[in-house]
Amino acid sequence: MIKQRFRSNAGPALVMIGPVVLWLAFFVAIPLIYVLVMSFCGIDKNYNVIFRFTMGNYRRMFDIDYVEIYGQSILIAFFSTVICLVLGYPFSFLIARTFRSKKTILYMMVIIPFWTNSLIRLYGWRTFLGTNGLLNKLLLTLHITSEPIQFLFNRSATILGMAYVLFPFMVLPLYTAIEKLDQAQLEASADLGAHFRSTFLHIMLPQTASGIFSGCIMVFIPCLGYFFVSDILGGGNADVIGNLIQRQFQSGNNWPLGAALSIILIVITLLLVKLYQKCGGDMQSLGV
Amino acid sequence: MKKKQVVSILLTFVLMVGGLTACGSSNSNTASKGSLNIYVWTEYVPDSVIQNFENETGIKVNVSTYSTNEDMLAKVKSEKSGTFDIVQPSDYMVEQMIGQGMLQKLDQSAMTNKKNIGSAFLNRSYDPNNQYSMPYLGGVAAIAVNTSKIKNNITSYGDLFNPKYKNTMVALDDYRAVIGMAARSMGMSMNETNDAKLAKIKAQTLKLKDNIKVYDSDSPKSELISGDCTLGYCWNAEIALAMQENPAIKIVYPKEGAYEFLDNWCITKGAKNAANANKFINYMMKVETAKAVSEESPYLQPNKAAVALLGDKYKNNKAENIPEDVIKNGEFLKNLDTATLAKYNAIWTELKK
Amino acid sequence: MCRQTKEKCAHNAGAVYCGLIYAFLFLPIVVIVINSFNATNTKPYLTWKGFTLDWYGKLFQNSALLDSFQNTIFIAVTSTLLSTFIGTLAAVGMYKYKFRGKNIIDGLLYIPVVIPEIVLGISLLTLFTNTNIPRGLLSLVLAHTTFCIPFVIFNIRARLDGYDKSIEEAFMDLGANRLTTFLRITLPVLAPGIGGGALLAFTLSIDDVIVSYFTNGLTMTFPLKVMESIKSGVSPDVNALSTLILLATMVIVILTQSNLLKNLRKVLKRQS
Repeated sequence: MIKQRFRSNAGPALVMIGPVVLWLAFFVAIPLIYVLVMSFCGIDKNYNVIFRFTMGNYRRMFDIDYVEIYGQSILIAFFSTVICLVLGYPFSFLIARTFRSKKTILYMMVIIPFWTNSLIRLYGWRTFLGTNGLLNKLLLTLHITSEPIQFLFNRSATILGMAYVLFPFMVLPLYTAIEKLDQAQLEASADLGAHFRSTFLHIMLPQTASGIFSGCIMVFIPCLGYFFVSDILGGGNADVIGNLIQRQFQSGNNWPLGAALSIILIVITLLLVKLYQKCGGDMQSLGV
Repeated sequence: MKKKQVVSILLTFVLMVGGLTACGSSNSNTASKGSLNIYVWTEYVPDSVIQNFENETGIKVNVSTYSTNEDMLAKVKSEKSGTFDIVQPSDYMVEQMIGQGMLQKLDQSAMTNKKNIGSAFLNRSYDPNNQYSMPYLGGVAAIAVNTSKIKNNITSYGDLFNPKYKNTMVALDDYRAVIGMAARSMGMSMNETNDAKLAKIKAQTLKLKDNIKVYDSDSPKSELISGDCTLGYCWNAEIALAMQENPAIKIVYPKEGAYEFLDNWCITKGAKNAANANKFINYMMKVETAKAVSEESPYLQPNKAAVALLGDKYKNNKAENIPEDVIKNGEFLKNLDTATLAKYNAIWTELKK
Repeated sequence: MCRQTKEKCAHNAGAVYCGLIYAFLFLPIVVIVINSFNATNTKPYLTWKGFTLDWYGKLFQNSALLDSFQNTIFIAVTSTLLSTFIGTLAAVGMYKYKFRGKNIIDGLLYIPVVIPEIVLGISLLTLFTNTNIPRGLLSLVLAHTTFCIPFVIFNIRARLDGYDKSIEEAFMDLGANRLTTFLRITLPVLAPGIGGGALLAFTLSIDDVIVSYFTNGLTMTFPLKVMESIKSGVSPDVNALSTLILLATMVIVILTQSNLLKNLRKVLKRQS
């Protein structure tokens, strides 16, 4: 009986799962394996990849310069994540609970900006924050400052850009988690005379932890790779790992080194995801 | 309820957007006689020139742009051969690409306008008989000074290393250019391979770290005009254009001798539209074309017939028509082996981190 | 009494806070809209030279820009359809059937979601280079579909969690075959998940920069066109196009969110 059932299912199962298996194998698995192989290769004098085993790329990656850029990337990602979380949590709470009656439209208003191309919005920041940009003009006319402030082309500007571009990825999971909070429990806690702080610490925080974790992961990891943000707002002074990889595939003309850097990036990512799972994070909620 | 919303959002969006593009695309299909894919530097070949070529010949030109020679090399190598018909490498890169068998010989019989080019710009060592390349424009990487903000007299690359100019400078986002400049500032060559010298160059290059505010190869004039940067290490024409917008900006040719380049038209091996490509290159050497190019892209113009037409306005502009002694003192980049280039790249990584 | 004013205060403070966040989100967009009316003609288009509507006309003569936009829409629609099709089949299949290697598929699905896009971009670049798949619309559609599939599957899965298999079995017991069951029972239940997944795929595709950057060949998409124009200063016609896109999305959202349509329908019904 069981056997028969299995046989009758094999056909449809193949039809349904076959395409995705083929697709993932060809466009995800094979390319990644190839990148891994390439990371152990060298280049010839014409910059072509030659398949001769070497650890050279990995040795180079522990050069102090590279390590410092990993550090800088992680720093940028960390601060961007913190900014998103600190700004995003109360905001998500407000739109999901306090202004519940208008929550759909408020939520849509977070999404709308993101249907406008992200590069051009970053460029908008660049024109706004420039030495002769609107903000400086405003500050000068109000006599808040006598010399234009240099906002752009440094780490802070890059962090601002990352936080800006990734903000909705923090708000979405937080919003979902906060929306699920039990209103009765919150009210009971307040009625019992609990301070807001203890309600927050003992009820809200534990119940929304999963949202916080997945939001953080969804902001932190892309920050490591978003080279265009540091190009546009960092002016080339605040490179992240993504810039290193991009450079090796372009002006550096050293694909194997770029491949090795990508492997490092994958390893960092997997470690973070493991940590996330350890904290009880649900993988499913990363994709929705 | 929610599903209907989602579906209707999707559908309406697609429809509206489809409508928007439909009305625009109708005029884009001119009766075309073949096409041409060119890969050129950003902000280098004026749109008007390309449009005129399209109107005159009926050939549709697709333009892609790059920011450094090395970017171009990487992209051409990674694409299927023949993806680009025309590329625009600088001197040393022409040699490199010939060496790698990436270029094809030009059809000399089609180059009827070659006679317009000054003899000083032909038969250079990287392509002795111009079999593979025709010059487009040349220039140097000079210094831009916003004199309303920087009062000191700047005369050399060496001055750019003064810690006083912290966070003021826009520099080319090009490792050979920046490291080479540091080498020149110490009286060395841009093409050093000796390890001891490279160590010195590295130390010198890193002094720039605090001074450089932005790296921009594509349009460094933007930062100069916007006032974000008051000092610049960039292409002479970019400075010339910035000077038109803000008269306080001045050009300085470094007394150590500047980084000099000559960019060329080349046809890739396996180009699908080789005949059109030859036609295009010849068109670019026409006097009127070269004149139009110089008006928008004020580099050193090898086309001497066009220079005669450009008149005194060009001849007397020090930023556009580079003085002869600057040309004589300049240095061109050379191809280096991959091991040395890796060292240059390491310096670059350390500078930019 | 005291408590009420306090609550009101908190409420107002909350409103102000939200306002500030929205200001943060919309500020660069305001800059874009303003710049689309700038009469300047010289690069890098930074100085304000007066108000004009010209760029909205010129936009429709800039065939390169419009082509890139058309490509973006084509790629987004195609890869949304492809990924929704493959993803729906896979999500249902993986839910229904048990088989060996399911964990591997699951693991592979998480890769495009979790790893930074640049890794996917360069690995696809090496794939396309080595297999001689021509770079252009084809490679872009393949690449976009690759990163869209997992999002579609996860969205549908969220929906499947509360799905009751017995209805399907009952329907089949009544003599319906597999295909009809799938079309009549499974699909309608999953529709919101599929729609949400498709919308997400579409959104991801139209705004993708990094993966497209490595796999485009000569084909320009709108984000890549913007990236190119940033090099030399974004020209007002690019801002104008962005403003139009924004306007279109706002109109759609307002139409779908407000009860305007519903009321209209009611009125029409009553009249007929």
